[in-house]
Amino acid sequence: MRFLLSLAWRDLRASGRSLWIFCACLVLGVTLVSASGGLYRLVGDGLLSDTRQLLGGDVQVASNQPRPLPDEAVDWMKQNGKVSQLMELRTMLGTPEEEFVLVELQSVDDLYPLYGRLELEPAKPLSELISQQGGRWSVAIDNALALRSDLKVGDVVSIGMLQMDVRALIKKQPDRNLSADFRGSPVLVSPQAISDAGLIRPGSRIDYDYRVATELPAATWKTMFYEQFPDRGWEVRTFEDRSERISERLGQIASGLLVIGFSTLFIGGLGVFSSIQSYLQSKLKTIATLRSLGLRNRRIATVYLLQVGILGGGSSLFGCLLGALLALLGGTVVAAEIPISTSFAALTAPLFSAFLFGVLTAFCFALPAIGSALSVSPASLFRDSAGTSLKIPRNWMIATAGCAAGIIALILLSVPSLIFGAAFILVVALLLGLLEITLRLIRRGAQRLDGDKGIRTGLAFRLALANLYRPASPLRSSLLSLGSALTLLVICTLVVVSLNRAIQATIPDEAPALVLYDISPNQFDDVQNAIKQTSPQARSELAPLVQGRIVAVNGETVVSLLANGAEELRDTLNDDHKLSYRGGNVDGIELVEGRWWTAQDDQTIPLMSLEDREAGRIGINIGDRISYAIAGGTLEYKIAAIHRQKGVQSRFYFEGIVSDGTLDSSVERYVGAAWMSDDEALQAQKAIAAVASNVVTVRTARILASARDLLGQATSGLMVVAVISFLASLLVLFSVIAASRVRQVYDASVLNALGVRLSVIRKSLYIEFMLIAVVTALFAVVLGSAIALPLLEWRMKLPSTDLVWVGLLTALVVSVSTLVIGAQYLHRRMNVSPAILLRGTG
Amino acid sequence: MNSTQVKESPLPSIVMDLQKISFSYDLQESTLDVLVDVDLKLNQGETAAILGPSGSGKTSLLLLLAGLEQPKSGSILLDNKDLSTLDEDELADIRRDSLGIVFQSFHLVPSLTALGNVMLPLEIAEKDNAREIATTMLERVGLAERAGHYPTQLSGGEQQRVAIARALVHKPRLLLADEPTGNLDAKTGERVIELLFGLNRESGSTMILVTHDEAVAAQCQRVFRLQQGKLVEDAPHALPA
Repeated sequence: MRFLLSLAWRDLRASGRSLWIFCACLVLGVTLVSASGGLYRLVGDGLLSDTRQLLGGDVQVASNQPRPLPDEAVDWMKQNGKVSQLMELRTMLGTPEEEFVLVELQSVDDLYPLYGRLELEPAKPLSELISQQGGRWSVAIDNALALRSDLKVGDVVSIGMLQMDVRALIKKQPDRNLSADFRGSPVLVSPQAISDAGLIRPGSRIDYDYRVATELPAATWKTMFYEQFPDRGWEVRTFEDRSERISERLGQIASGLLVIGFSTLFIGGLGVFSSIQSYLQSKLKTIATLRSLGLRNRRIATVYLLQVGILGGGSSLFGCLLGALLALLGGTVVAAEIPISTSFAALTAPLFSAFLFGVLTAFCFALPAIGSALSVSPASLFRDSAGTSLKIPRNWMIATAGCAAGIIALILLSVPSLIFGAAFILVVALLLGLLEITLRLIRRGAQRLDGDKGIRTGLAFRLALANLYRPASPLRSSLLSLGSALTLLVICTLVVVSLNRAIQATIPDEAPALVLYDISPNQFDDVQNAIKQTSPQARSELAPLVQGRIVAVNGETVVSLLANGAEELRDTLNDDHKLSYRGGNVDGIELVEGRWWTAQDDQTIPLMSLEDREAGRIGINIGDRISYAIAGGTLEYKIAAIHRQKGVQSRFYFEGIVSDGTLDSSVERYVGAAWMSDDEALQAQKAIAAVASNVVTVRTARILASARDLLGQATSGLMVVAVISFLASLLVLFSVIAASRVRQVYDASVLNALGVRLSVIRKSLYIEFMLIAVVTALFAVVLGSAIALPLLEWRMKLPSTDLVWVGLLTALVVSVSTLVIGAQYLHRRMNVSPAILLRGTG
Repeated sequence: MNSTQVKESPLPSIVMDLQKISFSYDLQESTLDVLVDVDLKLNQGETAAILGPSGSGKTSLLLLLAGLEQPKSGSILLDNKDLSTLDEDELADIRRDSLGIVFQSFHLVPSLTALGNVMLPLEIAEKDNAREIATTMLERVGLAERAGHYPTQLSGGEQQRVAIARALVHKPRLLLADEPTGNLDAKTGERVIELLFGLNRESGSTMILVTHDEAVAAQCQRVFRLQQGKLVEDAPHALPA
């Protein structure tokens, strides 16, 4: 073994940099896999290690009404644990610069926080920092909000009808909402201050949450509570429920990232195959010589397996280190938003798994090449025929299949979402199948075209065609490597362009400049007047917003539906639906089924349009009936239409648009929109704040800006991924071209010796690569569109069939330019000379 | 790991015994007979030359002797062992222990130095003092000072000398030489042949030399010609001058 190891090492050292593509491909793939796996673990551990802190207790009970729970419930909770009450309300905060920003007022009691520690600056008791001093209330504001709005301790801000002092910054809040920056930054305030600010009024959306620390198991506490207070509609969530939700969501994101990593590793595997194959081609005579010297096959195999092990292991290790660095770097970026694990030990498992992936991939793609090379006979040394028609022996095929099975098992084990893993394997199988069919079609077509006497083609074209179906043509590797990467690029392009179009579509004339929430009925006129005074020409639209809970579908009660096996619908059916009238279509919805009703339609049972996603989840169609519990009563509607959100618009996301008048008796608040310039919207914000300080006003410019930011981040992320995969595919392509170079030089030299001009040879080379480029681009567009379009249509509600040309253009430009560069490289390195034939050095 | 297979019994005086060997290539619709009923017996230390025009079957005969091809009929006995009864691994062991091959195109392992190439057969056989034996052998072929050089840093003649050293370093029972001067100029070729015969004498190996060169063949004790698949031995000293 020592001799074999020494031989493997000496041979590897003498082979110089010929295997750098092997290493680079593995490093890229393993880096992505270990980085995504590592980041997932860091974030997952951070979020899941103490969900009690994030939830604020072992259990959280939320009132379903904008009022506190009755005393009997609070008393029961206090008997069964330590209870801390939290009151939350989203409203506007006016800065000294008269900017209005959305915040979440939080009023806590002395027991807050039950778990973890609240860090304030200055470090004084919270009760002191939010007390009333000199007749003015004080607040502690979120540090991120302070940075964003340039606020500091000592500033005076307006909340509701009052001016309040900023007395502290919240440096660390153990239960800070993960989406606090988007939904409203936390501002800690006294409950009396909220009341004094005039923010507690009928229709105000105040959430009353009760956090409980209990010695009992959380699930047991939850069961006991529901037994004590059945059918009250109060939501009880345990920290375990939260962990489950977080891990499910995280798992989906991580699975997506990991699948991209696996794709890159798969593409990299092709580079491993082509570079090791080319390396072993150069070793055929050495292998034959070793066999002629009496070295047994198994021992020769050991030499090359050791080499693959050394290179695969080393590259995977390096990839793991890079991945770990990326994960830690990514960790520090997301650490600003969410808690992450700081323990390096958390990375051990994902790094080991990525290492195993790297090594298994190296062997899986190298085994066929080694098996085939080992079938070379020493007889070739006598006849100078090494490399002719080598076959992969059966046992090597079995070993390769074993490695592939190992990779599949590892994928299914390591991807958090089994569906993602299985889908990935299915897509790869589909890709390979489609590729095989495409290859056969192209070869048959090229062969037929080449042999067709009726078609007059030039010599260069015929040579190029012949190259497409000759043995060892680079077509297969090009299609697989560049084709896979281009497919990913086409998918990313279609998604990004589609999203961009959806956002752009709402900007020019349809989008309102100002969106309004939480308008009480008694503020209706004041708000409309404030808008009119700011901009007399402005169009404004206010619509009622009533929340209703589904109680029956087609006459069958939700209780009965759930009892009859619709358990998976529990969350959907328990969610409140936002109902409104059609009015001036303030939310910019459009029908996808049915039609809007008119006065002539029979409205014995009032009519409604249901949002398509909800309709899909519940399984409701036109003509079905749905009953809502609204403000103590029940209202039944007949489905006349199904609608969908058109774009980002105002984001009210009404689930139901119902017949006019049916909600009148239950309206407690309105939402609205105003169409004006952004400057006027800014003025209107101030005017509305003056007359209705509790009304939340958001300038659409901000929504669009945040949507653009989000799109920008998504685009950058997608592009980074696409570029890394593309880089891997370029490496593969480079190795394929390099591997075919010797043969191309030989063929070209023979042709040149026979009198074919160099210009014709060059032309045929470019035609061959152009044909491969076009075929690869078409392959990528067909597969990429087949994946992206259904995704956009069904998942994101963005029909984009008309954008296929963008994908085609992208694929063509990238594919053609890549392969033309490849052809140019090959052309430069060719050094065609018939002399090599005479010297026998070709 | 294979040292257990080394025989302790005295070696027979007949090293190579070919009995009624026939060999043919299967073509698409016919068969090409290359060797027909070939008999050949060679004793220890004997040298034999095989002459014949291109396509006469010289290389096929060498492949059969090296156990790299199997005859259609007849048997090949090397030290009384029938090669047709041996499996792949046993044939590899035969090449390791009993055979040395010198190729026309040298076929040195490019990633190993001259010394590394000469050490190779000893290392394969897991001999203890491979470096010392190989260094001595390199000195014998006059290349001690080139021990650390790679094949690409050596001239054709030097490469063939390394190849000869590699073929004889483990004192094989049978040395097969396939046109050893085919890729060399006349003067270098002469020196290589001189070295080959000299070292072969020292090692006491039986040598079969395939060549086109009548003068080289004349240096062998026995000369055979392949004519239409038959192996015909020249009468002693019947070679033209």
